[in-house]
Amino acid sequence: MSTRELRRIALDGELTIMTAAEQKERLLAALQGSGGLRVDLSGVEELDTAGLQILLLARREAARLDLPFELGAPAGNVAAVLALAGLAAEEE
Amino acid sequence: MSTDDDMREALDTFVTEARDLVQQLEEGLLDLEVRPAAADTVNTVFRAAHTLKGSSGLFGLRHLVQFTHVVETVLGSVREGDLEVSPGLVSALLPCADHIGTMIEGLAGGRLEPDAAQAAEGAALLAGLEPYLGDGPGATAVRHAEDAGAAPERSWRLSLRFGADCLRNGMDPLSFLRYLGSIGTVSRVSVDDSGLPAAEQMDPETCYLAFEAELLSGAPKEEIEAVFEFVREDSDIRIVPAEHQLDAYVRAIRAMPESDRVGDVLISSGAVTELEMAEALHIQQEQAVRSGTRPVPIGEILVEHGIVPRPIVDAALNRQRKTIETRSQDTQTIRIDAARLDRLIDLVGELVIAQSSTGLRAGAGGEAQSEVMRLVDEVRHSALALRMVPIGTTLRRFERVVRDVCVELGKEVSLVITGGDAEMDKALVERISDPLLHLVRNSLDHGIEAPAERRRHGKAAQGTLRLNAYHDAGNIVIEVGDDGRGLDREKILAKAVERGVVDADAVLTDAEVHDLIFEPGFSTASTVSSLSGRGVGMDVVRRNVTGLRGSIEVETTRGAGTTIRIRLPLTLAIIDGFLVGVGPSSFIVPLDRVTEIVELPSGPLGRDCMNLRGEVLPFIRLRDLFDIPGEPARRQSVVIVEQSGQRTGLVVDALLGELQTVIKPLGVLFSGLSCISGSTILGSGEIALILDVGPLVADHSEREHVRARRAA
Amino acid sequence: MAKTILIVDDSASVRQVVSIALKGAGYDVIAGVDGKDALAKLNGQRIHLIISDVNMPNMDGITFVAEARKLPAYKFTPIIMLTTESQEDKKRQAQAAGAKAWVTKPFQPEQMLSAVAKLIAP
Repeated sequence: MSTRELRRIALDGELTIMTAAEQKERLLAALQGSGGLRVDLSGVEELDTAGLQILLLARREAARLDLPFELGAPAGNVAAVLALAGLAAEEE
Repeated sequence: MSTDDDMREALDTFVTEARDLVQQLEEGLLDLEVRPAAADTVNTVFRAAHTLKGSSGLFGLRHLVQFTHVVETVLGSVREGDLEVSPGLVSALLPCADHIGTMIEGLAGGRLEPDAAQAAEGAALLAGLEPYLGDGPGATAVRHAEDAGAAPERSWRLSLRFGADCLRNGMDPLSFLRYLGSIGTVSRVSVDDSGLPAAEQMDPETCYLAFEAELLSGAPKEEIEAVFEFVREDSDIRIVPAEHQLDAYVRAIRAMPESDRVGDVLISSGAVTELEMAEALHIQQEQAVRSGTRPVPIGEILVEHGIVPRPIVDAALNRQRKTIETRSQDTQTIRIDAARLDRLIDLVGELVIAQSSTGLRAGAGGEAQSEVMRLVDEVRHSALALRMVPIGTTLRRFERVVRDVCVELGKEVSLVITGGDAEMDKALVERISDPLLHLVRNSLDHGIEAPAERRRHGKAAQGTLRLNAYHDAGNIVIEVGDDGRGLDREKILAKAVERGVVDADAVLTDAEVHDLIFEPGFSTASTVSSLSGRGVGMDVVRRNVTGLRGSIEVETTRGAGTTIRIRLPLTLAIIDGFLVGVGPSSFIVPLDRVTEIVELPSGPLGRDCMNLRGEVLPFIRLRDLFDIPGEPARRQSVVIVEQSGQRTGLVVDALLGELQTVIKPLGVLFSGLSCISGSTILGSGEIALILDVGPLVADHSEREHVRARRAA
Repeated sequence: MAKTILIVDDSASVRQVVSIALKGAGYDVIAGVDGKDALAKLNGQRIHLIISDVNMPNMDGITFVAEARKLPAYKFTPIIMLTTESQEDKKRQAQAAGAKAWVTKPFQPEQMLSAVAKLIAP
């Protein structure tokens, strides 16, 4: 299981209620069959509660599968939202 | 375009809108002067002021906002029916409309703030509205802003469980959290994602998250609560004082002034908001209804629902207990809807009627009967006492009037108010205030001399106007007295002759002459000043007073002053009457007017008058007056009534005894009858008319005068 | 990238002042003079928040909100209704149509700013 590679996925645009449905599918699909997920947030311009919720869901799914899950490189305002929610992004 | 240009343009738009509104305000006020009860006009005027305030707020025009706020508040109480439109009110408001207009024109000319003179004018105008302002809030919007920041910072524990639909409604919990940062310092945020369902069941548009956070802020709890107002209904928002601050609340509650309501204590401690209390009360009621048991104490509900920690509730409960223990004879007041009170008075009235009916049927026998009578009497007294208010508030309104009128007339007058705690029916207080206003103006205008003239006569330059009220034999007496020039007998008499009110050779006593000032169209002032230019004369004052079943008299000493004395019943609702019968009809004579009752001497009489202990007593045959058919009783009685020192007899068939009765206003059918003040339903179901002694006697003596003149 | 707000009100002075205040706070603002005009402006651009008056000619605010909610792009957009104290029933109707936030007229620009700031950052 842990032999598989850490998969990187880059999200961009809005990670909000407007896109939550498709982002959820993307993240869960990416997690399937991976050796863990590193979500690159540098292209995300906007993050709201719906988006945060998707990230939390993906993190929990990864934990359930006993896989590593990392958030990386958020832009300023997205980093601020994550910090506000008490979720600091991990350093690479 | 720069922001300044934008603002300039918006301001131009506003000026155009505002001119229109000021015009509406002014026209409406003028209309109210003519039709004081026009509800549509009251609405228009209120809305104009309301919109003016709103738009001024938009531009941050503080002076205009504050000024229109007061005008709006006054108009608001008119709209709510708490304040009646009076000439005094309209003349206080009209210059306010002018002032707003001036400010708007100033804006058009590029001046955003008033100059010193305008600011002073505005302040003076607002001071003029002071008497019309209740205890309500002043310029709240502005005060809030100034208060903020002064409060000490407090620590709050926030527990935020948002509704499932909030995301779909465009409400973003993270955005509210971010906003919290603008009213305080947010720390220790934690996200609770335990509500997230399995991945495949998770609807990405439903909110599953809850947040916990700590906030350090000087803002009152209401302001923190307001951050979540758009989601409050569907969410579970808890804002609780942080653990380490509980002691501070407990100490604060211990030091608070006495109160016997836990809720009030908690709200003023700042731990609970009004909204939370209202919700808790709602829960309390619902629970009680559902379980059919006694309501759970409110403190328990607050604790149970996590609105406030138990130590704070306990402190509040202790405070309450102490208050109840220490309270001895503190006067406590509650506010009651006037309509409910009226309903109670009405019912008590019915009770009085029903009771007099049992009195009629059962006679005066029986211990139980007399006990019921005593109780009904006490209930009546207590019910009427509920309507009683001190007259002082009304009298104090004149301080302002006196000041303004003095400035206008260049006179110096000090106002002395005594007996302000004398109580009377609230409805009467309201209706007597305009007549009093006229009397006060009259004294200032015609009674008290200018300082120079006073000095010439060896008086102090400053005149004194006295307003005095006291209870006297079931009446309230209100005096308006001045130390002015007094009434001029010769001048009055000359005028009365000129007007044809009295004959040139008539011999009148001083009192009769002084009474002439109350005749219609009588005015001794050779020039009509702007103050009395309202077309209201002393005759209207007298008509108003007698309309309230009162009387008015004047006492004057040439060169030393005049006192006008108004005597009114304490209430309009119930009358102590004497029931008399004429043929099949019944009449009630107000008991306080009856001086004695004698038998009508038999045998031929001089024209309608008789000899009463050597005096000539004129009398009125009610049978003739009301055209009642049938033969008079063999032995008739004379009820002797007194009005303004004049005694007159009323000839009736039967004396049916004293009773208390509730006055029902007359329908339009009888509105032409000046000598009937109302009607009442007797215990027997019959209707009795209540005689209005004042006009009855006055009309009669007028007819006699005419007859006497014709005879001569 | 500044967020865009649409203000819909038939009073020119309200539109102007709200625009000035919001622009000052860092938002982009476009304006509509009534519901119909505003509905036309929804297409072809991303609008992050809508502020609408209730009583307007051509199309009132409540109809406008209901129509906007039918568009996929505006299904979840926060909407602030401008209500007055005496219009509790209108406020209810607006909420049912999908406008869950409100500002009570008359308001000062700061009140509008704080209502907007609760819902979206600039």
